[in-house]
Amino acid sequence: MAQAYRTPSKVRLLSRPSRLVMWGGVALGMAFFVVFGIAPAVANIAISLTDYSGLAGASTSFTGLDNYTTLFTTQWPGFIGSLGDSLYFVIGVTVIQNAIALALAHRLQGTGRTASLLRILVFLPIVLGVTVVGIVWLLIFDPQSGPAQAILGHVGIHSAFFGSGSWAMPLTIMAQVWQNLGFTMIVFLGGLKAIPPEIFEAAAIDGVNGWQRFRRVTWPLMAPVVSVNVTFAVIGSLTTYNMIYILTDGQFGTNTLGIFAFNTAFGNTADLGLGASMSVILLLLAIIVALPLVAFLQHRERRLLA
Amino acid sequence: MQLSRAPRRSRRRRAVAGIAAVITLGAVALAGCGGSSGGGGGGGNADSGTLKIITWVNPPAVAALTAINKEFEQKYPKIKVQLQTAVNVATGYANLLQTSVNSSSADIVTTVDQLQPLPLHPTRKSETPTQFWSTNDVFADLSGQPWAKNLNDAAVKAETYNGKLVGLLSGVYQELVFYNKADFTKYGVTPPKTWDEFITLMNTLKSKGVANPLWLGLGSGASVYVTRFLAEPFMNSLWAPKASGETLAQALEKGDLKWNSPEMIQVLQREQQLAKYLEPSYTGAAWQDMPNAFAQDKAPMLLDGSWDLTSVQKANPSMDVGSFALPGSNDPSLNQPVANQDLTFEVLNKAPDKALAMKWMAFFASPAIYKQYVDMTGISPIMKSGGPYSSFSSKVLGPLFGQGFNPGDVLPALSADQGFWDTATQWPLLQESVMAGSKTPQQAVAMYQSDWKTG
Repeated sequence: MAQAYRTPSKVRLLSRPSRLVMWGGVALGMAFFVVFGIAPAVANIAISLTDYSGLAGASTSFTGLDNYTTLFTTQWPGFIGSLGDSLYFVIGVTVIQNAIALALAHRLQGTGRTASLLRILVFLPIVLGVTVVGIVWLLIFDPQSGPAQAILGHVGIHSAFFGSGSWAMPLTIMAQVWQNLGFTMIVFLGGLKAIPPEIFEAAAIDGVNGWQRFRRVTWPLMAPVVSVNVTFAVIGSLTTYNMIYILTDGQFGTNTLGIFAFNTAFGNTADLGLGASMSVILLLLAIIVALPLVAFLQHRERRLLA
Repeated sequence: MQLSRAPRRSRRRRAVAGIAAVITLGAVALAGCGGSSGGGGGGGNADSGTLKIITWVNPPAVAALTAINKEFEQKYPKIKVQLQTAVNVATGYANLLQTSVNSSSADIVTTVDQLQPLPLHPTRKSETPTQFWSTNDVFADLSGQPWAKNLNDAAVKAETYNGKLVGLLSGVYQELVFYNKADFTKYGVTPPKTWDEFITLMNTLKSKGVANPLWLGLGSGASVYVTRFLAEPFMNSLWAPKASGETLAQALEKGDLKWNSPEMIQVLQREQQLAKYLEPSYTGAAWQDMPNAFAQDKAPMLLDGSWDLTSVQKANPSMDVGSFALPGSNDPSLNQPVANQDLTFEVLNKAPDKALAMKWMAFFASPAIYKQYVDMTGISPIMKSGGPYSSFSSKVLGPLFGQGFNPGDVLPALSADQGFWDTATQWPLLQESVMAGSKTPQQAVAMYQSDWKTG
């Protein structure tokens, strides 16, 4: 009986050679992940406890928590400011990106040619890549010859834009949002498509208007998708450095932790130990922000879907 | 039964063998990558192969190197030269340089940090990466190369450590003010010799309707120009004379002079005053556009390095350009241009093909090729014999061609072991805050002094 019970569990969907190929592929993938993902991350933590410079032939000493002490004291005053810049950037990107993407997804969920074309246009910046998007924004907001200044000049606005302490961060947020809007919109579109049309039909019979339909039907049912997009936006913007590197190099109030860590590690100072300690803090910050955020969003999902 | 099992075993063996082959090939490929990028050969074949040179996007130098590389390939058809560039010397190239040196993945690297003078107490953190590599046998000794005998004394001194010549300095460039002669004639003004004359000149230009008397692009990550175009000449004019028996850099390193001295306050006050005459939004104006802006007569004066003169000439061949040193002092004898070392070529000791690199260096240093480089880039030559040189910049600079002070004697190393505001990245940003009016000169010098660690 026991034998008869156990037999079905041994039914294999794949032949043994196929399974070997499958597990071989998995092993190869895991090996790459360990070598290029896990090992550098662990090494980064180790480097953060040293004065490693990355310079060929240089000796390296264990410095304990010196790098962390340096960051949290006035010896490295830019660090506290960079936490503030990071917070500004993360909140700005997350709120604006999700709000605009949700609105666009709502408007562009049709099957017509115009909607399809507009969806492609919104998605295009992701295909272009960070460097191209960054250069496009720099050209648009060139204070001497860019079209933005030409237009804003008519209403008396003159600014250095990406060289201005008041404009640089909002513009950097907008560039980041523009770059990633397409992906967020696609995820929202997927969520909208997953809502059964019968629910909307029932709501229409009950006589609810457009806003009520969105608030009472669409928004609660989109809760899992909102959770995904908010989490992606928060973690993505927290670790961003490439867009900022191209646009401002961390100057003019855009010195987020990501770009600050990069410049400390690879800029003129070449202080990889200190830069590594910043990236460890960035990792901890991402965990500290992400875990409660995910818990909150899951709680919200349950509440809205109840 | 046997007949049916044998093929299954065979298939299994083939599958296992296939997986093993894939993993082995992957490992071999990775090892191959490591081997080629890890370098460490230090030998190589001088007759054929690919030579890799890295530098940053400095249009005249890149154009000259591209032309020279083509001639090199024509002379040695079995050799290919790969010139890799990074966009910005301050950030992008610093990264490329560091990774290339660490992995020995280039044959010849170019640097712009000066080797000499070294910091008072050279340590791993007080030296620039170039200085560290130079003093730690990363670069090949070029002393025995036949062409080295033709270098002038200053070029040998600049690139020698412990009796070893570790780099081929390509030349010297000046940083100063360029002016449009036609504009000066039109407005009836002459080049100033003192600070007061300079301010009067700019006020005169403004009164005659010139909105932007002086152009300086700091956008796209060029804050370093505050250090090089403004701070160093002002420090040299106003402060260096106070350092008796030693250079200003040494006096600051030893603590004999303090950052919060009246002279440094005056340096920052000069910068703040000068900012009023720059183009609007100068912190966002791309540094790459400076030559074009000047060539298009957006301003009658340009604060720049002589390396950009070829771009000015290209943009406006008929433009008649003059030059003068930024006059920080009211004593004309104290106002000199910055004479900075231009890019230096170094051969990595662990270069993938060192022999090929040495061959290229000899080709570059040959009189005809070197003259071509000097004329195309506009730098001042460092060879004892050669020439005559006929670059645009030699005409624009006139008697100032090749003249000036060494900024290494004025500004000490702003290294990683200094406090936050005295690191190379942050030091000019604080001055930008002063120029913008968000910090006072007194506040800034106090911050410099409080973060400064003396030897």
